[in-house]
Amino acid sequence: MEHPKAPEASADHPRALYDEVLAWMYREAELLDDLREREWLETMVAPDIVYQMPIRQTVKRASGRGFLVNAYHLDESYGSLLSRIKRTETEFAWSEDPPSPSRHFVSNVRLCGTREVDIEVKSNLLLFRSRGDHPEPTLLAAERQDTLSRIGGTLRLKRRLVLIDITVLETHNLSVIF
Amino acid sequence: MATRNLRADSATYTFADRLLDDLDRGLPKGQIPAALFGNADIYEREMRRIFGRCWVFMAHDSELPKPGSFVRRNIGQDSFIVVRDSDGRIRVLLNACRHRGVQICRTDSGEARGFLCPYHGWSYNNKGELLGAPLWQKAFGEMSRESNGLIAAAQVESYRGLIFATLDPTAPPLKEYLGGMCWYLDLIFALNEHGVEVIAPPQRIVLNANWKSAAENFAGDDYHLGTLHRAALEMGAFPVPFEANMNGFHIQAAPGHSLSLSVATSDDEPGPKFFGYPEQIAASFNASLISQQQLQVARRARVAVGNVFPNFSLLASPHTDDPNSPPTGMLSIRMWQPYGPGKIEVWNWFCAYRNMSQTQKARLYRAALGSFSIGGNFEQDDTEPWSSIQQTGRSAAAEILELKLNYQMGLPGIGIAKRVHDWPGPGVVYSPRYEEGVQRNLYRFYGDMMRSEPATWPKPATE
Repeated sequence: MEHPKAPEASADHPRALYDEVLAWMYREAELLDDLREREWLETMVAPDIVYQMPIRQTVKRASGRGFLVNAYHLDESYGSLLSRIKRTETEFAWSEDPPSPSRHFVSNVRLCGTREVDIEVKSNLLLFRSRGDHPEPTLLAAERQDTLSRIGGTLRLKRRLVLIDITVLETHNLSVIF
Repeated sequence: MATRNLRADSATYTFADRLLDDLDRGLPKGQIPAALFGNADIYEREMRRIFGRCWVFMAHDSELPKPGSFVRRNIGQDSFIVVRDSDGRIRVLLNACRHRGVQICRTDSGEARGFLCPYHGWSYNNKGELLGAPLWQKAFGEMSRESNGLIAAAQVESYRGLIFATLDPTAPPLKEYLGGMCWYLDLIFALNEHGVEVIAPPQRIVLNANWKSAAENFAGDDYHLGTLHRAALEMGAFPVPFEANMNGFHIQAAPGHSLSLSVATSDDEPGPKFFGYPEQIAASFNASLISQQQLQVARRARVAVGNVFPNFSLLASPHTDDPNSPPTGMLSIRMWQPYGPGKIEVWNWFCAYRNMSQTQKARLYRAALGSFSIGGNFEQDDTEPWSSIQQTGRSAAAEILELKLNYQMGLPGIGIAKRVHDWPGPGVVYSPRYEEGVQRNLYRFYGDMMRSEPATWPKPATE
């Protein structure tokens, strides 16, 4: 069983909307890279967010891409995301204190479907992270399938499915927002 | 106890031999050489003497629901096919074609009547029997198919749905190997006639750590809760404060196998029962497969964390992903698969009782994932110290300066833990949990296996 395919990317969107979504994505990446995760949660995330990273298996080509349903590396709600952020605000979040320098490279941003109220967006993410004085960084690539809701005039992240391009993750932790 | 009779000045006495002698001499005094956690020769020897001989966890029964179901798993660093064959029997087959050694099972799981090698087309059924190859008569004529089947692990057995395998035909049967640990596995895996099932395929993460750091942590390290997991405690992610949580029992269940239990002192003591499972489920727990005494211990149990030597760990405990949702009982089983002296691949499964509703299973999965996974509010901090322990283990300075690590807690005069004599289960038991005998138990058996010659098994010895 696979996750349902996201709607096809469509060029049929007003330029202004595309620019607005792109600016939103870049602002999000900036907040996350600058350790401003609480601001990200409070200003860019919907209260009913569903944020998931399914487990990926190696499967035959005919079986699809191998993303499992009901098996996750991450399955977060607003409450659990908030509790992650509060963790880092204590003095004892050892896995991320000192923090891991990170950089989100967002590209291939595509608007999908035709809905105006909930905007569906696909994007590619390359996440670079390093830790302490280890010279070898971690690079993780993923497709993100997002739903952005317009709430009180601003766009907020209502749903994110992170589809990673690897089945066995080599990383010191997953204490990072993709 | 089998030992190598090598004189320290012999030409074949290696650094690894010296480390093992240091371990043998130092362990009764609570000293373990740091180099055991990173030395490459020790690691190579472990591949043969530990992972090549002991019973290793392969899969849970529920992952192989039908004839033809298979998963691809490892013993040490070596790939095996774990398959329920067409007759329903579980087989553990080395994932290597007999012709040139090519991996023939190339997906993580699935259903198959057999396996085909992509190189020259040798074809096997799911019992591992060689069926044929292209143009057989011209290529191979009268060559025997029977003697060219896939190589199988020497023994495969399961206990309460947990499938183990060993490469050593002289290994004692699984139940004998587990010894007293069976009694404790029952407290989790045999609480009702429905038993346990894996909720979903495992997460797989590679970390910088020596496998023994992870195994010993789950063998009963409660003392780190107050420091390493302080952030999670302060967030309300765990219902018992640190000092209160140190009450409980450290159990050396059998040579090599240890666990730690947090248990209420009476049925009336407030707090979680049966590891915090919802009351509806707890009501289904009974003594149909276990004794009344075992059921009583399970009823009062809050947390069980343990390790089956070498590298299969379990955790049954109430946890939550979000302090706004109350903690709920969860069960994680995991394998710390060695991936080099300084790396492990962690395989992490979450399990539920088969008679739980879909909603309960989903809630358990969420709570477990949010606490005990690589992104979980507890587990993400565990990886931090482990990554530098293996660095210390590889360090020339640690070797030159002969760094010995301190495992003295609970030795006579060190700490308040006392031997418990009126405990209803098997093994050597201490309480409260300010002691490291559970780790010394792991290393004692480790040292014995590392120094045992093939076909001899160490005789049990305790502290």
